[in-house]
Amino acid sequence: MADRIAKLELEAARCRRNVVRMVEASHHGHLGGAMSCLDIVTALYFDKMHVGPEYIQDPERDRFILSAGHKCMAQYAVMAERGIFDKSILDTYGGFKTKIPGHPDMYKLPGVEANTGALGHGLAIATGMALGLRNDGKKAGVYVVMGDGELAEGSNWEAAAAAAHFGLSNLTLFVDYNGLQISGRVEDVMNFMPVTEKFRSFGWSVREIDGNNMAEVVETLDALPFQQGKPSMILARTVKSKGISFAEGKAAYHYWTPSGDELETAIRETEDAIKRLEAVCGEVQA
Amino acid sequence: MIGEWKDPRKEFGKAVSEIAEEKEDIVVISTDSGFSSGFKEFAGKHPDRYVECGIMEQGATGIAAGLACVGKTPVFCAIAPFVTCRNYEMFRNDLGYMRQNVKIVGRNGGFTYSDLGATHHSLEDFAITRMIPGVTVLCPQDPVEIRQACKAMLEMEGPVYMRIGNPKIPVLFEEDSPFAIGKGRLIRDGGDVTILSTGTVTAEVIKAAELLEAKGIHARVIGLGTVCPLDEEMILKAARETGRIVTVEEHYAQGGLGTMVAEFLSETEPVKVKKIGVPKEYATSGPYEDLIRYYGLDSESIAETVEKFCRE
Repeated sequence: MADRIAKLELEAARCRRNVVRMVEASHHGHLGGAMSCLDIVTALYFDKMHVGPEYIQDPERDRFILSAGHKCMAQYAVMAERGIFDKSILDTYGGFKTKIPGHPDMYKLPGVEANTGALGHGLAIATGMALGLRNDGKKAGVYVVMGDGELAEGSNWEAAAAAAHFGLSNLTLFVDYNGLQISGRVEDVMNFMPVTEKFRSFGWSVREIDGNNMAEVVETLDALPFQQGKPSMILARTVKSKGISFAEGKAAYHYWTPSGDELETAIRETEDAIKRLEAVCGEVQA
Repeated sequence: MIGEWKDPRKEFGKAVSEIAEEKEDIVVISTDSGFSSGFKEFAGKHPDRYVECGIMEQGATGIAAGLACVGKTPVFCAIAPFVTCRNYEMFRNDLGYMRQNVKIVGRNGGFTYSDLGATHHSLEDFAITRMIPGVTVLCPQDPVEIRQACKAMLEMEGPVYMRIGNPKIPVLFEEDSPFAIGKGRLIRDGGDVTILSTGTVTAEVIKAAELLEAKGIHARVIGLGTVCPLDEEMILKAARETGRIVTVEEHYAQGGLGTMVAEFLSETEPVKVKKIGVPKEYATSGPYEDLIRYYGLDSESIAETVEKFCRE
């Protein structure tokens, strides 16, 4: 288990470096949310989901829906690290006709499952996918990452009711609760707490974890579905801009346009993290 | 049989249900609307392919997109404004932008829910759905064309919006008459003016053409079961040969068929175009026939407007 966690932490560190690489190319991007959900997305693509470059068209593949499409740098970083597309494409982020625009596009980048970006769409699409897969007797699971500010979109609650009504055990929702949105604290902007109780009362099986703690994330994924006949919801407490010291926990870094030596610091910090975790992995393996 | 009056919702539900017996990928989405859309029997026979979502049009549109993503062909029918206006962003992104094979059917379209008032009217559905890239917009004109349009939309890949009405409508076309998406029907030939119409108001247009004939005006009548894409070839030919175009639709005179025809002809054959439709206001309520007359969509009003236009 220690080996498994250490490896995933190293993959997440490499993915964080990929995020910074995209910002190096474009000089802007939704940093905060990409970094907060990145450990979850890494664990899904590297440890949990049946996905990969060879399974892009496989009807049995698991589906990942990034409902909070603006966190797409996390998904691109992980897909590239997983070998689903060539890492050189990361350097086109923000560019003209790029395969990796500021919100994911399934026709530009094979492997993306839905064109998200407008908030409050992903869970309904995922519900339809999970229903169709389940009714066809397929084993595939559907995994959604939603933002915390996104909870205010009423359409999510339509889908939350439907997913529970249909009893979709093959549907898993992570709410990336970094607690901050553009205008400030989520609780101040539009309070949806207690989120876990809301989902529980909607008929979901619920857990609350530290979403930046890889061991907790993996343990949670191993426990899915939490209850047969119910969709699973994980309130993942995370840190906005996790891994970039000067930006952690700051709403101002929701969308980052690096100034001064910020970019250099971010490169150094993410590369240091890789070296540190490579050493850890070496020790664990030895 | 021509002249026989039939319920458009039942014709629609029956047509889709029959096709669904062969095509097992078809699933019917209901937002507490399926029984009223002619799917009661289907729901009983195929509970696994009948997805009841409750009164949830935004969610149901996303769910339909997700079902299509995993290989299903969802048919989602409910009251027209609720599957076009209410869920517009889901239609645009989840079906249009994602190019999903979902068929959205707005029933009780136009102001056929006449007495229920403006919340239940859809007089802008062509205008807004035709602006979503890749969406085909159908508005069959009679019970035969409803069945033909169902078959055609389920044979093609991609998102479709189809509008049907509510009160019984007469059969206008032969059962074996040809139908293709994007192609108009030459219903009546004439050289003085061309009347282009879509939807069930075509029945009134056919009668109007007879009234005009009695007055010595030879009107060509083209029925368009497809609003988008337009049958440009047939419309261009008509503009060149008759020099005057009238459009008739149970829709705002702005933004729908008339606007599309005017847009097209202004760049190709700029003849005069008269758009007959509803003025951009929240339509009044009452018996359907009264509304049709009030907004000038009955045969006599149409004939009068066309005659005036021809004599300008």
